[in-house]
Amino acid sequence: MDCFPPCFKTFAIRASLFQHSSSEAEFSLQLQAARAFGLKSARMKLKEGSFLWYLYLDKLYCLLSVRNVKALVDYFHLLDVHRKNTLNDVLFYHFLHHVTTLKRRQINIVFNMLDWSAMGEIGFDQFYMLVCILLARENQLEEQFIFRHSRPVFELLDLDGELKIGADNFHMYNFLFNIKRQELRELYHDFDITGDRLLNYKEFKLFTMFSMDKYQERQKAEKEKEKDKDKDKDKVLLKKKRSHQVNMSPNTSFWNKWIRK
Amino acid sequence: MEDKPLKALDKSSGHRASGKSSQQDIRNLWTTATLSQPKLNVALSDVCEDSEGSSVSSRTRRWRKQTAGHDWDASWEALEDRKDKDSFKQEELDEHSLLELEMRLDSSVGSHVEDDDESRTEKPSSVSSFNIAKHTHHRAYWMEQHNRLPLPLIELMENEALEILTKAFRSYRSGIGRDHFLTKQLQRQIEGLKRRQNKRLHVSAH
Repeated sequence: MDCFPPCFKTFAIRASLFQHSSSEAEFSLQLQAARAFGLKSARMKLKEGSFLWYLYLDKLYCLLSVRNVKALVDYFHLLDVHRKNTLNDVLFYHFLHHVTTLKRRQINIVFNMLDWSAMGEIGFDQFYMLVCILLARENQLEEQFIFRHSRPVFELLDLDGELKIGADNFHMYNFLFNIKRQELRELYHDFDITGDRLLNYKEFKLFTMFSMDKYQERQKAEKEKEKDKDKDKDKVLLKKKRSHQVNMSPNTSFWNKWIRK
Repeated sequence: MEDKPLKALDKSSGHRASGKSSQQDIRNLWTTATLSQPKLNVALSDVCEDSEGSSVSSRTRRWRKQTAGHDWDASWEALEDRKDKDSFKQEELDEHSLLELEMRLDSSVGSHVEDDDESRTEKPSSVSSFNIAKHTHHRAYWMEQHNRLPLPLIELMENEALEILTKAFRSYRSGIGRDHFLTKQLQRQIEGLKRRQNKRLHVSAH
Protein backbone atom coordinates (compact mmCIF):
# COMPACT_ATOMS: atom_id res chain seq x y z
CA MET A 1 0.00 0.00 0.00
CA ASP A 2 1.61 3.23 -1.12
CA CYS A 3 0.93 6.06 1.31
CA PHE A 4 3.56 8.39 -0.10
CA PRO A 5 2.02 11.17 -2.18
CA PRO A 6 3.65 11.65 -5.60
CA CYS A 7 4.43 15.32 -4.86
CA PHE A 8 6.74 14.27 -2.03
CA LYS A 9 8.96 12.34 -4.42
CA THR A 10 9.09 15.32 -6.80
CA PHE A 11 10.08 17.54 -3.91
CA ALA A 12 12.92 15.23 -2.92
CA ILE A 13 14.38 15.41 -6.44
CA ARG A 14 14.11 19.20 -6.64
CA ALA A 15 15.58 19.64 -3.16
CA SER A 16 18.69 17.75 -4.18
CA LEU A 17 19.07 19.98 -7.24
CA PHE A 18 18.96 23.07 -5.05
CA GLN A 19 21.33 21.73 -2.44
CA HIS A 20 24.63 23.17 -3.67
CA SER A 21 23.57 26.72 -4.50
CA SER A 22 25.86 29.53 -3.39
CA SER A 23 24.16 32.92 -3.38
CA GLU A 24 21.80 34.39 -0.82
CA ALA A 25 19.04 34.69 -3.42
CA GLU A 26 19.29 31.01 -4.21
CA PHE A 27 19.25 30.25 -0.49
CA SER A 28 15.93 32.02 -0.06
CA LEU A 29 14.73 30.24 -3.18
CA GLN A 30 15.33 26.95 -1.41
CA LEU A 31 13.15 28.07 1.46
CA GLN A 32 10.44 29.23 -0.91
CA ALA A 33 10.55 25.93 -2.77
CA ALA A 34 10.16 24.04 0.48
CA ARG A 35 7.24 26.22 1.53
CA ALA A 36 5.58 25.89 -1.88
CA PHE A 37 5.14 22.18 -1.29
CA GLY A 38 2.77 22.85 1.59
CA LEU A 39 5.29 22.34 4.35
CA LYS A 40 4.48 25.47 6.26
CA SER A 41 5.36 25.25 9.91
CA ALA A 42 1.81 25.13 11.28
CA ARG A 43 1.97 24.72 15.03
CA MET A 44 1.78 21.03 15.73
CA LYS A 45 -0.27 20.12 18.79
CA LEU A 46 -1.06 16.96 20.66
CA LYS A 47 -4.77 16.38 20.99
CA GLU A 48 -5.97 17.16 24.46
CA GLY A 49 -6.93 14.09 26.44
CA SER A 50 -4.95 11.69 24.27
CA PHE A 51 -2.60 9.25 25.97
CA LEU A 52 0.54 11.07 24.85
CA TRP A 53 -0.85 14.32 26.16
CA TYR A 54 -0.51 12.94 29.69
CA LEU A 55 3.14 12.00 29.36
CA TYR A 56 5.97 14.19 30.58
CA LEU A 57 9.48 14.75 29.41
CA ASP A 58 12.17 15.17 32.00
CA LYS A 59 13.00 18.86 31.62
CA LEU A 60 16.71 18.28 32.11
CA TYR A 61 17.41 15.26 29.92
CA CYS A 62 14.36 15.56 27.64
CA LEU A 63 13.60 11.87 28.00
CA LEU A 64 10.72 9.89 29.42
CA SER A 65 10.93 8.37 32.86
CA VAL A 66 10.95 4.61 33.28
CA ARG A 67 7.28 4.56 34.23
CA ASN A 68 6.38 6.57 31.18
CA VAL A 69 8.35 4.19 29.01
CA LYS A 70 6.61 1.21 30.59
CA ALA A 71 3.23 2.75 29.77
CA LEU A 72 4.42 3.59 26.25
CA VAL A 73 5.57 0.02 25.68
CA ASP A 74 2.12 -1.28 26.55
CA TYR A 75 0.54 1.31 24.30
CA PHE A 76 2.84 0.35 21.45
CA HIS A 77 1.93 -3.31 21.88
CA LEU A 78 -1.75 -2.46 21.68
CA LEU A 79 -1.14 -0.89 18.27
CA ASP A 80 1.20 -3.68 17.13
CA VAL A 81 -1.61 -5.85 15.80
CA HIS A 82 0.62 -8.09 13.68
CA ARG A 83 2.92 -8.98 16.59
CA LYS A 84 6.11 -7.90 14.87
CA ASN A 85 7.13 -5.21 17.39
CA THR A 86 6.66 -2.70 14.58
CA LEU A 87 4.04 -0.37 13.14
CA ASN A 88 3.56 -0.28 9.40
CA ASP A 89 2.85 2.94 7.51
CA VAL A 90 -0.95 2.59 7.73
CA LEU A 91 -1.03 2.04 11.49
CA PHE A 92 1.57 4.77 11.96
CA TYR A 93 -0.44 7.21 9.88
CA HIS A 94 -3.68 6.58 11.77
CA PHE A 95 -1.90 6.80 15.12
CA LEU A 96 -0.27 10.14 14.34
CA HIS A 97 -3.40 11.48 12.70
CA HIS A 98 -5.42 10.59 15.77
CA VAL A 99 -3.13 12.07 18.41
CA THR A 100 -1.74 15.16 16.65
CA THR A 101 -2.85 17.92 14.31
CA LEU A 102 -0.33 16.89 11.64
CA LYS A 103 -1.45 16.62 8.03
CA ARG A 104 -0.99 13.64 5.76
CA ARG A 105 2.08 15.06 4.02
CA GLN A 106 3.73 15.86 7.31
CA ILE A 107 2.98 12.41 8.68
CA ASN A 108 4.53 10.84 5.60
CA ILE A 109 7.63 12.99 6.04
CA VAL A 110 7.91 11.90 9.67
CA PHE A 111 7.53 8.26 8.68
CA ASN A 112 10.24 8.63 6.06
CA MET A 113 12.49 10.29 8.60
CA LEU A 114 12.04 7.54 11.19
CA ASP A 115 12.19 4.59 8.83
CA TRP A 116 15.97 4.87 8.76
CA SER A 117 16.46 1.25 7.76
CA ALA A 118 13.92 1.62 4.92
CA MET A 119 11.92 -1.41 6.06
CA GLY A 120 8.55 0.28 5.69
CA GLU A 121 7.98 -0.23 9.42
CA ILE A 122 8.70 1.66 12.63
CA GLY A 123 10.13 -0.18 15.63
CA PHE A 124 9.81 0.81 19.26
CA ASP A 125 13.12 2.73 19.30
CA GLN A 126 11.92 5.03 16.55
CA PHE A 127 8.48 5.28 18.16
CA TYR A 128 10.06 6.31 21.46
CA MET A 129 12.16 8.94 19.69
CA LEU A 130 9.10 10.31 17.94
CA VAL A 131 7.17 10.57 21.20
CA CYS A 132 10.05 12.49 22.78
CA ILE A 133 10.15 14.87 19.81
CA LEU A 134 6.39 15.41 19.94
CA LEU A 135 6.45 16.08 23.67
CA ALA A 136 9.38 18.47 23.29
CA ARG A 137 7.45 20.34 20.62
CA GLU A 138 4.28 20.38 22.69
CA ASN A 139 6.07 21.66 25.81
CA GLN A 140 8.27 24.13 23.86
CA LEU A 141 11.48 22.36 24.78
CA GLU A 142 12.79 22.11 21.22
CA GLU A 143 16.06 23.95 21.87
CA GLN A 144 16.78 21.84 24.94
CA PHE A 145 15.89 18.64 23.13
CA ILE A 146 18.10 19.43 20.15
CA PHE A 147 20.94 20.41 22.50
CA ARG A 148 20.65 17.24 24.57
CA HIS A 149 20.24 14.91 21.62
CA SER A 150 22.16 16.71 18.91
CA ARG A 151 23.65 13.54 17.42
CA PRO A 152 20.40 11.64 16.85
CA VAL A 153 18.66 14.79 15.61
CA PHE A 154 21.50 15.44 13.17
CA GLU A 155 21.27 11.88 11.89
CA LEU A 156 17.53 12.24 11.45
CA LEU A 157 17.90 15.45 9.47
CA ASP A 158 20.70 13.99 7.35
CA LEU A 159 18.31 12.19 5.00
CA ASP A 160 20.80 11.17 2.33
CA GLY A 161 23.56 10.15 4.74
CA GLU A 162 26.14 12.68 3.52
CA LEU A 163 26.92 13.75 7.12
CA LYS A 164 25.86 17.27 6.15
CA ILE A 165 22.52 19.01 6.27
CA GLY A 166 21.19 21.81 4.14
CA ALA A 167 18.58 24.48 4.74
CA ASP A 168 15.94 22.44 2.96
CA ASN A 169 16.39 19.63 5.49
CA PHE A 170 15.75 22.03 8.33
CA HIS A 171 12.79 23.62 6.68
CA MET A 172 11.25 20.31 5.82
CA TYR A 173 11.14 19.41 9.50
CA ASN A 174 10.26 22.85 10.74
CA PHE A 175 6.89 21.63 12.03
CA LEU A 176 8.75 19.25 14.35
CA PHE A 177 11.74 21.24 15.48
CA ASN A 178 10.38 24.76 15.17
CA ILE A 179 13.49 26.44 13.78
CA LYS A 180 12.24 29.76 12.52
CA ARG A 181 13.15 31.29 9.17
CA GLN A 182 15.21 34.09 10.68
CA GLU A 183 17.08 31.64 12.87
CA LEU A 184 17.76 29.49 9.84
CA ARG A 185 19.33 32.41 8.02
CA GLU A 186 21.45 33.24 11.07
CA LEU A 187 22.34 29.61 11.42
CA TYR A 188 23.83 29.39 7.97
CA HIS A 189 25.36 32.81 8.15
CA ASP A 190 27.09 32.33 11.51
CA PHE A 191 27.80 28.63 11.73
CA ASP A 192 28.60 27.56 8.21
CA ILE A 193 32.33 27.78 8.88
CA THR A 194 33.32 25.72 5.86
CA GLY A 195 31.20 27.97 3.64
CA ASP A 196 29.57 25.22 1.63
CA ARG A 197 26.01 26.15 2.66
CA LEU A 198 25.80 22.85 4.48
CA LEU A 199 26.32 22.08 8.14
CA ASN A 200 28.47 19.21 9.29
CA TYR A 201 27.99 17.78 12.77
CA LYS A 202 30.44 20.11 14.53
CA GLU A 203 28.83 23.19 13.03
CA PHE A 204 25.43 21.86 13.97
CA LYS A 205 26.59 21.19 17.54
CA LEU A 206 27.83 24.79 17.82
CA PHE A 207 24.45 25.96 16.66
CA THR A 208 22.66 23.86 19.30
CA MET A 209 24.88 25.29 22.04
CA PHE A 210 24.23 28.80 20.81
CA SER A 211 20.47 28.36 20.61
CA MET A 212 20.50 26.76 24.07
CA ASP A 213 22.26 29.84 25.50
CA LYS A 214 19.72 32.06 23.77
CA TYR A 215 16.88 29.98 25.17
CA GLN A 216 18.24 30.30 28.70
CA GLU A 217 18.67 34.04 28.31
CA ARG A 218 15.08 34.27 27.14
CA GLN A 219 13.92 32.28 30.16
CA LYS A 220 15.85 34.59 32.47
CA ALA A 221 14.41 37.68 30.81
CA GLU A 222 10.90 36.28 31.13
CA LYS A 223 11.44 35.51 34.82
CA GLU A 224 12.68 39.02 35.43
CA LYS A 225 9.68 40.45 33.63
CA GLU A 226 7.37 38.42 35.81
CA LYS A 227 9.19 39.58 38.93
CA ASP A 228 8.85 43.20 37.84
CA LYS A 229 5.16 42.68 37.15
CA ASP A 230 4.68 41.20 40.61
CA LYS A 231 6.53 44.13 42.15
CA ASP A 232 4.33 46.61 40.30
CA LYS A 233 1.23 44.76 41.42
CA ASP A 234 2.41 44.86 45.02
CA LYS A 235 3.07 48.60 44.73
CA VAL A 236 -0.40 49.22 43.34
CA LEU A 237 -1.96 47.17 46.12
CA LEU A 238 0.04 49.06 48.75
CA LYS A 239 -1.06 52.38 47.33
CA LYS A 240 -4.67 51.29 47.36
CA LYS A 241 -4.36 50.13 50.94
CA ARG A 242 -2.83 53.39 52.03
CA SER A 243 -5.40 55.51 50.25
CA HIS A 244 -8.13 53.38 51.78
CA GLN A 245 -6.64 53.89 55.24
CA VAL A 246 -6.33 57.63 54.66
CA ASN A 247 -9.98 57.84 53.60
CA MET A 248 -11.14 55.94 56.65
CA SER A 249 -9.17 58.00 59.19
CA PRO A 250 -11.27 60.41 61.38
CA ASN A 251 -9.40 63.62 60.34
CA THR A 252 -9.95 63.09 56.67
CA SER A 253 -13.58 62.14 57.17
CA PHE A 254 -14.00 65.44 59.07
CA TRP A 255 -12.43 67.33 56.16
CA ASN A 256 -14.62 65.50 53.70
CA LYS A 257 -17.72 66.50 55.61
CA TRP A 258 -16.54 70.07 55.88
CA ILE A 259 -15.87 70.22 52.13
CA ARG A 260 -19.24 68.84 51.30
CA LYS A 261 -20.91 71.55 53.43
CA MET B 1 22.41 25.80 33.32
CA GLU B 2 21.33 22.53 34.91
CA ASP B 3 18.21 22.81 37.02
CA LYS B 4 17.69 20.35 39.79
CA PRO B 5 15.50 17.49 38.61
CA LEU B 6 13.06 17.84 41.47
CA LYS B 7 12.63 21.52 40.72
CA ALA B 8 11.97 20.65 37.12
CA LEU B 9 9.40 18.16 38.34
CA ASP B 10 7.69 20.82 40.46
CA LYS B 11 7.64 23.29 37.59
CA SER B 12 6.47 20.80 35.04
CA SER B 13 3.75 19.46 37.29
CA GLY B 14 2.09 22.86 37.20
CA HIS B 15 2.16 22.97 33.43
CA ARG B 16 -1.13 21.29 32.63
CA ALA B 17 -4.61 22.73 33.13
CA SER B 18 -5.79 22.61 36.69
CA GLY B 19 -9.29 21.41 35.91
CA LYS B 20 -8.38 17.75 35.42
CA SER B 21 -7.94 16.62 39.00
CA SER B 22 -8.83 12.95 38.62
CA GLN B 23 -6.67 12.62 35.53
CA GLN B 24 -3.86 14.44 37.30
CA ASP B 25 -4.00 11.72 39.94
CA ILE B 26 -3.14 9.20 37.24
CA ARG B 27 -0.29 11.37 36.14
CA ASN B 28 1.03 11.81 39.64
CA LEU B 29 1.04 8.08 40.14
CA TRP B 30 2.60 7.04 36.92
CA THR B 31 4.10 9.74 34.83
CA THR B 32 5.89 12.26 37.02
CA ALA B 33 7.73 9.93 39.33
CA THR B 34 11.41 8.98 39.14
CA LEU B 35 12.46 11.82 36.89
CA SER B 36 16.12 12.43 36.14
CA GLN B 37 17.24 9.23 37.72
CA PRO B 38 20.75 8.01 36.94
CA LYS B 39 19.21 4.86 35.54
CA LEU B 40 17.79 6.81 32.63
CA ASN B 41 20.96 5.88 30.83
CA VAL B 42 19.87 2.27 30.83
CA ALA B 43 19.33 0.93 27.33
CA LEU B 44 15.76 1.04 26.11
CA SER B 45 15.72 -2.68 25.39
CA ASP B 46 16.55 -3.42 29.01
CA VAL B 47 13.63 -1.29 30.14
CA CYS B 48 11.24 -2.97 27.74
CA GLU B 49 12.36 -6.49 28.62
CA ASP B 50 12.70 -6.09 32.32
CA SER B 51 11.06 -2.91 33.54
CA GLU B 52 10.42 -4.69 36.80
CA GLY B 53 14.09 -4.94 37.73
CA SER B 54 15.06 -1.41 36.86
CA SER B 55 12.39 0.34 38.88
CA VAL B 56 11.93 -2.00 41.81
CA SER B 57 13.67 0.34 44.21
CA SER B 58 11.53 3.34 43.23
CA ARG B 59 8.34 1.31 43.35
CA THR B 60 9.30 -0.22 46.69
CA ARG B 61 10.06 3.24 48.00
CA ARG B 62 6.64 4.54 46.96
CA TRP B 63 4.87 1.57 48.44
CA ARG B 64 6.80 1.93 51.69
CA LYS B 65 5.74 5.53 51.94
CA GLN B 66 2.14 4.48 51.80
CA THR B 67 2.36 1.83 54.48
CA ALA B 68 5.14 2.75 56.94
CA GLY B 69 5.81 5.80 59.11
CA HIS B 70 8.75 8.19 59.17
CA ASP B 71 11.37 5.80 60.49
CA TRP B 72 12.08 4.28 57.13
CA ASP B 73 13.42 7.63 55.91
CA ALA B 74 16.71 7.06 57.65
CA SER B 75 17.19 3.70 56.00
CA TRP B 76 16.31 5.17 52.64
CA GLU B 77 18.70 8.06 53.14
CA ALA B 78 21.48 5.56 53.61
CA LEU B 79 20.38 3.89 50.42
CA GLU B 80 20.23 7.21 48.58
CA ASP B 81 23.76 8.11 49.71
CA ARG B 82 25.00 4.83 48.41
CA LYS B 83 23.17 5.36 45.15
CA ASP B 84 24.65 8.82 44.72
CA LYS B 85 28.16 7.47 45.21
CA ASP B 86 27.56 4.73 42.70
CA SER B 87 25.75 6.87 40.19
CA PHE B 88 28.82 7.43 38.02
CA LYS B 89 29.39 3.69 37.86
CA GLN B 90 25.66 3.16 37.16
CA GLU B 91 25.43 0.10 39.32
CA GLU B 92 22.01 -1.37 39.90
CA LEU B 93 20.83 -2.47 43.29
CA ASP B 94 21.39 -6.18 43.77
CA GLU B 95 18.44 -8.32 44.57
CA HIS B 96 20.25 -9.46 47.70
CA SER B 97 20.95 -5.97 49.03
CA LEU B 98 17.37 -4.98 48.20
CA LEU B 99 16.10 -7.86 50.27
CA GLU B 100 18.44 -6.84 53.07
CA LEU B 101 17.08 -3.35 52.95
CA GLU B 102 13.52 -4.58 53.03
CA MET B 103 14.30 -6.69 56.07
CA ARG B 104 15.88 -3.67 57.76
CA LEU B 105 12.88 -1.54 56.96
CA ASP B 106 10.50 -4.14 58.24
CA SER B 107 12.42 -4.50 61.49
CA SER B 108 12.51 -0.72 61.98
CA VAL B 109 8.80 -0.50 61.36
CA GLY B 110 8.15 -3.52 63.50
CA SER B 111 10.29 -2.21 66.39
CA HIS B 112 8.62 1.15 66.14
CA VAL B 113 5.26 -0.48 66.46
CA GLU B 114 6.33 -2.68 69.37
CA ASP B 115 8.15 -0.03 71.38
CA ASP B 116 5.61 2.70 71.18
CA ASP B 117 2.31 1.63 72.70
CA GLU B 118 0.62 4.92 71.85
CA SER B 119 1.50 4.72 68.24
CA ARG B 120 0.39 1.12 68.28
CA THR B 121 -3.02 2.20 69.47
CA GLU B 122 -3.12 5.00 66.94
CA LYS B 123 -2.00 2.84 64.05
CA PRO B 124 -4.45 0.18 63.12
CA SER B 125 -3.21 -3.26 63.93
CA SER B 126 -3.96 -4.26 60.38
CA VAL B 127 -0.99 -2.13 59.19
CA SER B 128 1.66 -4.09 61.08
CA SER B 129 0.08 -7.40 60.31
CA PHE B 130 -0.31 -6.18 56.76
CA ASN B 131 3.44 -5.52 56.50
CA ILE B 132 4.33 -8.88 57.91
CA ALA B 133 1.80 -10.65 55.75
CA LYS B 134 2.98 -8.91 52.63
CA HIS B 135 6.51 -9.91 53.29
CA THR B 136 5.83 -13.55 53.84
CA HIS B 137 2.74 -14.27 51.75
CA HIS B 138 1.38 -12.90 48.49
CA ARG B 139 4.73 -11.43 47.56
CA ALA B 140 4.24 -12.35 43.94
CA TYR B 141 0.80 -10.74 44.04
CA TRP B 142 2.18 -7.45 45.35
CA MET B 143 5.00 -7.46 42.84
CA GLU B 144 2.46 -7.95 40.09
CA GLN B 145 0.35 -5.10 41.46
CA HIS B 146 3.36 -2.83 41.28
CA ASN B 147 4.08 -3.86 37.72
CA ARG B 148 0.61 -3.13 36.48
CA LEU B 149 -0.48 0.23 35.20
CA PRO B 150 -3.40 1.92 36.94
CA LEU B 151 -6.78 0.91 35.56
CA PRO B 152 -7.82 4.40 34.41
CA LEU B 153 -4.63 4.62 32.38
CA ILE B 154 -5.18 1.18 30.85
CA GLU B 155 -8.72 2.18 29.97
CA LEU B 156 -7.54 5.39 28.32
CA MET B 157 -4.90 3.54 26.32
CA GLU B 158 -7.27 0.80 25.19
CA ASN B 159 -10.01 3.23 24.18
CA GLU B 160 -7.60 5.26 22.15
CA ALA B 161 -6.01 2.19 20.56
CA LEU B 162 -9.49 0.96 19.65
CA GLU B 163 -10.32 4.18 17.86
CA ILE B 164 -7.03 4.17 15.96
CA LEU B 165 -7.31 0.52 14.96
CA THR B 166 -10.91 0.95 13.84
CA LYS B 167 -9.83 3.68 11.41
CA ALA B 168 -6.88 1.56 10.29
CA PHE B 169 -9.24 -1.34 9.70
CA ARG B 170 -11.22 0.74 7.21
CA SER B 171 -7.99 1.55 5.34
CA TYR B 172 -6.98 -2.11 5.33
CA ARG B 173 -10.39 -3.18 4.05
CA SER B 174 -10.39 -0.64 1.24
CA GLY B 175 -6.72 -1.23 0.39
CA ILE B 176 -6.13 -4.97 0.60
CA GLY B 177 -9.63 -6.34 1.02
CA ARG B 178 -11.64 -7.86 3.83
CA ASP B 179 -10.32 -11.40 3.34
CA HIS B 180 -6.62 -10.64 3.58
CA PHE B 181 -4.95 -12.24 6.60
CA LEU B 182 -3.60 -8.87 7.80
CA THR B 183 -7.13 -7.45 7.79
CA LYS B 184 -8.37 -10.45 9.75
CA GLN B 185 -5.53 -10.09 12.27
CA LEU B 186 -6.46 -6.47 12.80
CA GLN B 187 -10.13 -7.39 13.13
CA ARG B 188 -9.28 -9.96 15.83
CA GLN B 189 -7.30 -7.37 17.78
CA ILE B 190 -10.22 -4.93 17.58
CA GLU B 191 -12.66 -7.58 18.78
CA GLY B 192 -10.33 -8.45 21.67
CA LEU B 193 -10.18 -4.83 22.76
CA LYS B 194 -13.96 -4.49 22.52
CA ARG B 195 -14.45 -7.59 24.65
CA ARG B 196 -12.13 -6.18 27.31
CA GLN B 197 -14.00 -2.89 27.19
CA ASN B 198 -17.36 -4.62 27.63
CA LYS B 199 -16.01 -6.68 30.52
CA ARG B 200 -14.88 -3.56 32.29
CA LEU B 201 -18.24 -1.84 31.73
CA HIS B 202 -20.02 -4.93 32.97
CA VAL B 203 -17.87 -5.07 36.10
CA SER B 204 -18.29 -1.35 36.85
CA ALA B 205 -22.07 -1.59 36.34
CA HIS B 206 -22.29 -4.32 38.99
